[in-house]
Formats: sequence, C-alpha cells, structure tokens
Amino acid sequence: MTIQVVLADDEILARQKLRLLLREQADCEVVGECATAAETVALVHATHPDVVFLDIRMPDMDGFDVVDALSAEPEFTMPRIVFTTAYDQYAVRAFDVHAVDYLLKPFAAKRLRTTLQRIRERANGAPAESARRNGERYTSRIVFKSRGRILFLPVSEIRWIAAEENYVRISTESETHLLRETMAHLEERFDPQLFLRVHRSAIVNLQHVKEVRTESDGETAVILINGQKVPMSRSYRSRIQGLLRH
Amino acid sequence: MHPAIFIGFSVLVGLLFALQEYLNARRWGYRIGMLFLSEMWGMQFLLWGVICWLLWRFLRSFVVNAGLGTMLARILPLSIALSILEEMIWVLFFPRVPIDRPPMDYWHRLTFQLNAEFVDSMAIFWCAFIFFRGVAYYQKFREKETTAARLQVQLVQARLAALRMQLNPHFLFNAMNSISSLMRTDVEAADTMLEQLSSLLRITLDRGEVQLVPLHKEVEFVELYMAMQQQRFAGKVKQTLSVEPELHDALVPALILQPIVENAYVHGVSKSCEHWELAIDIRRDGKRLRMSVVNSGNGLDLVHKEPERKGVGLANVRDRLRLHYGERGSLSLREVGMGRVNVTIALPLQMNGNGTEEAARFDA
Repeated sequence: MTIQVVLADDEILARQKLRLLLREQADCEVVGECATAAETVALVHATHPDVVFLDIRMPDMDGFDVVDALSAEPEFTMPRIVFTTAYDQYAVRAFDVHAVDYLLKPFAAKRLRTTLQRIRERANGAPAESARRNGERYTSRIVFKSRGRILFLPVSEIRWIAAEENYVRISTESETHLLRETMAHLEERFDPQLFLRVHRSAIVNLQHVKEVRTESDGETAVILINGQKVPMSRSYRSRIQGLLRH
Repeated sequence: MHPAIFIGFSVLVGLLFALQEYLNARRWGYRIGMLFLSEMWGMQFLLWGVICWLLWRFLRSFVVNAGLGTMLARILPLSIALSILEEMIWVLFFPRVPIDRPPMDYWHRLTFQLNAEFVDSMAIFWCAFIFFRGVAYYQKFREKETTAARLQVQLVQARLAALRMQLNPHFLFNAMNSISSLMRTDVEAADTMLEQLSSLLRITLDRGEVQLVPLHKEVEFVELYMAMQQQRFAGKVKQTLSVEPELHDALVPALILQPIVENAYVHGVSKSCEHWELAIDIRRDGKRLRMSVVNSGNGLDLVHKEPERKGVGLANVRDRLRLHYGERGSLSLREVGMGRVNVTIALPLQMNGNGTEEAARFDA
C-alpha cells in the first residue's frame, strides 16, 4: 500500500527536504505541495492523501486552522497529520488534535523514518492502537519533552519503567527518558493487560518480556527480550506467570 | 508612620509626666487629683502629638533637610508660633487653671500659662525636631545599605552571565565546524548532529538567564552533548553516566558540567584513540553534591604542557563556583593512575523546592 502525502510549508527548501527524503521511501508518494493554508485545504480535498506534513506558521492561517477546516466536514475522512515546525510550544495542542507526530525543525532523516514507521503501524492497526481498542480507558500515547525534542511516544514502544525518587525513567529500544511522574499514576493510566508492576520501582511491558528467572541467590528477575534484567519482588511472581501464559 | 503611633506615644509621655508631678506633689504634702493631672498633661502632649504628626506628614523633607540658616529663619519662628498656638488651645480646655487663683479672663490665663510653660513647649518642639532628624538619617542610612547590597548582587549576576556567555558560542562553533566536516564524508551523521545541536540550542534558549537549574536538566544537557560527541568520534568512546536518583532535583549552576566534559574530550580522545573512556559519576556526600568526570588519556602532564589549550573551560567553572558558593564550592583536578584524569566539582547540596517541571501528557 502506498502512502500518499501532501506537503504544506511556505518555505521551498523545507518542502524540498521532505520531498527528497520521502523519495527514498519506496511506499511513499508525494501527491501535492502547497505554500498556504487555503491551498492546503483545497489540495487535501482534491487529492484525499493519507498524510499531510503540515507547517504550523503559514502566511494566511496556521496549521491548526487547516485541521479545523478539514475536520469540520462530516463526510470527509481526515488524513493523518504530521506537524513540522521550528516552534516547540504547540506540541500539546498538536497532541490533542491527534496528530501522528510533531517534527521539530531541523529534524534528521532518522527522525522522519520513525514517523513513517508509526504511520505504517497505525495504518495496519498495529500495537499503537491496541490500547485504544480496549475501550479508550487507557493511554496509548504520551507526549513529553526530552533532550530538547518533542516525543509523541506510543506506550507500546516502552520496554520498562523504573522509579527514580520523584521521577520515572522510561526505557525504549534505544533511549531512556526521565519524566516527572509517579509509578502509581502510570500504573493507573497504562493498560494492565500490557503493563505490569513487578517491583515497587519497576513496571514492565509484557510484550517485551522474555522470561522470569530465579537467580542462584534466590532473587527473581524479569528478563526482557533485549536481555535487560529487571528486578522483581516475589509477591508479583504468580501474577506475571499467569499473564505470560496467555 | 501611623498617626495613632505618634499621638499614642506622646500621650504616654504626658501621662508619665503627670505621674511624676503627682508623686512630687504627694511628697511635699499637696493634695491634687491624679485624674486632673492626667487630663492636663495628657492634653498637652496630645496636642503636641498632633502637631508633630502634622509636621512629619506634611513638612518632613523641609524639617529633615533644613540647614542652619533655615532653622534660624524659619523653624525657630515656627517653633515659637506653634508653642503659643498649643498653649492657646490648651488654655481653652482648662478654664479652672491656674488653680487656687481668683477667676481670670482668657488672655490673662494665657499669659500666665505662657510664663510658666513656654520654655517647656519649646523644649518639646526641639526634642521632636532632633528626633525627626535622627529617624531620617537612620532611614537614609538603611536605604544606602540596601542599595549597596542590591548593586553587589547585580554585579555578581552580571559577571555570572558573562561567564556563561563565554561558554555557549565557543562550543557552538566547534560543533558547527564538525558538522561542516561531516557533510563531506557522512551526510547522515551530519544530519543527526545538526538535529542534536538544535536540541542543545533549544534547551539553552528555554533556560534563558537562569543561573541555577535542577541537576536532571544539566545532566540532560550533558547527555545530549555526549551523544553529539559520540557522533563526532564515531562511537569509539565508552561513555558511562550515573546519577543518584535522589539528586535529580538538586540545584546546580547551569552549564557547570559541560565544560568539564568538553575538556575531557579535548585532552583524552583527541590524543589516544584506542580504548577511550569517559565516566561521569554524580553522588551525594553528606551535605555536599559531588560530580566527578574521569577520562582515560595521557595524564595531567599534557594539561600543564599545553596551558593555552586549557582555554576558558575549567577556569570559567572555577570562577563560577566561587561566585555562587564562595569557599564552599571547589574544583579539583588530579591524576588517578594509568594516565586517567579525574576532575571533581563539589558544592553545597541545595534542593529545588518548587518542582515546576512540565509533566508528560497522556491521551485518552
């Protein structure tokens, strides 16, 4: 399946960068480009793209006005929106209008590939949506700032979470992020079918758990698929084994 | 000053005089009612209290700044006039005074009263005058003192800001030069490094002029800086970073760690290129916070042989520690064997009370 893309940015070089990078992707096709919000609304109506890469500050209206204009029509299937901007202060607003991602300029090619991967996963109804299917009670994504970047992180990408005093450390495949959060709050917001508290100071994503092992000294630990070892309290043992058997 | 304080205080003084006269009169065998004495003295000082308050309220700067000439030409006549006025009002209230004399008309009584009390009234006025001058001098002195203190703080702030500014452009240009170089050899790496550099700038701009930041922010900055260096040295450096979780909210001077880490890269990795290591360890040591950066390399000799390469980095850190903490902050540089160099910063532990971090936001 090809992903049809519209690029909306008033800067020619910004569009060129996206065009060149998307050209490297076999399954992406740029179906149109535009420089103003009004043009964008018209072009999206004409081409019905899957994704719009949308600059927030444009000469006439801003990116959010485009989203409002498009979602005002009941019949119209909303394309997925990826905001591209040099401003970091609109992230939460973008998150609230269900944007797929928020690319802070300048972004590296690697970062764009992550975005495209998420778009593909969403199109396939893959993990990112699984929490949503569980009746919307639980969080499927979180947004936060880490190391000068904005992250729209699908919770499925979280491997495990460790408590660090007033903070929690979230580990993904390649990075860790420190957030001012409490374990109790995360436990409440995350789907218990996916996330399990295994220790006073550890929550693991069951999709990334390989096994539960008892060490020679009698201590139990959860071993993740990537080999990472997470300490475990004995009292949680029966719960996790029950869940892993599913 | 509130008028009630003024008037209350002067009436109190009046009552003390009344008590004194009452006791004196008893000692000499006279019988005179305490209530009556209190009324007379109280009224006199009440009138003076009101007069003084009016002076303080409306003529303060005139009274306080008057030179000798003005005192003689204006304030002396004013004091005479006010003393007479006060007696005129007072006499109105006490028609029975002087006691034990046949009834007199108002002007007679006034003359009598002025004969007896005029000098006292003048004394009261000039006492108040001296008191006002004293209070004004004291206020001016306090004002000068706070201004001096504020100036001192501003000076320190300005120097700290200047020291911080020295750091930013310096490493910014180095990073841009690395990107310029990578553009020719590895576009993908240059791209990533540019993104990292933007993130560093974004964090720096977000912080603004703040001098003290929570440790986790400083660590975040250093992590990003290290990731960028890793890009530059193609992942050849083994980096470790450990922070005691209870210290995430400890306050440290912004950008205090980065120059030390930069220094470690300059003196370590650019010289020896095989097994290169950089270890950052941040821990609590009683009431102090200790941050140590250890790098493998060629020991300290190198640092001493090439003083010009030491640059502004460590000297800058030392200056800033001194400005922030005086004797309680320190930076030490020592060799710890095998050519490894340990730079340790110690500073008083101070926790960030108001956690103003923006928390994560959840959907659904």
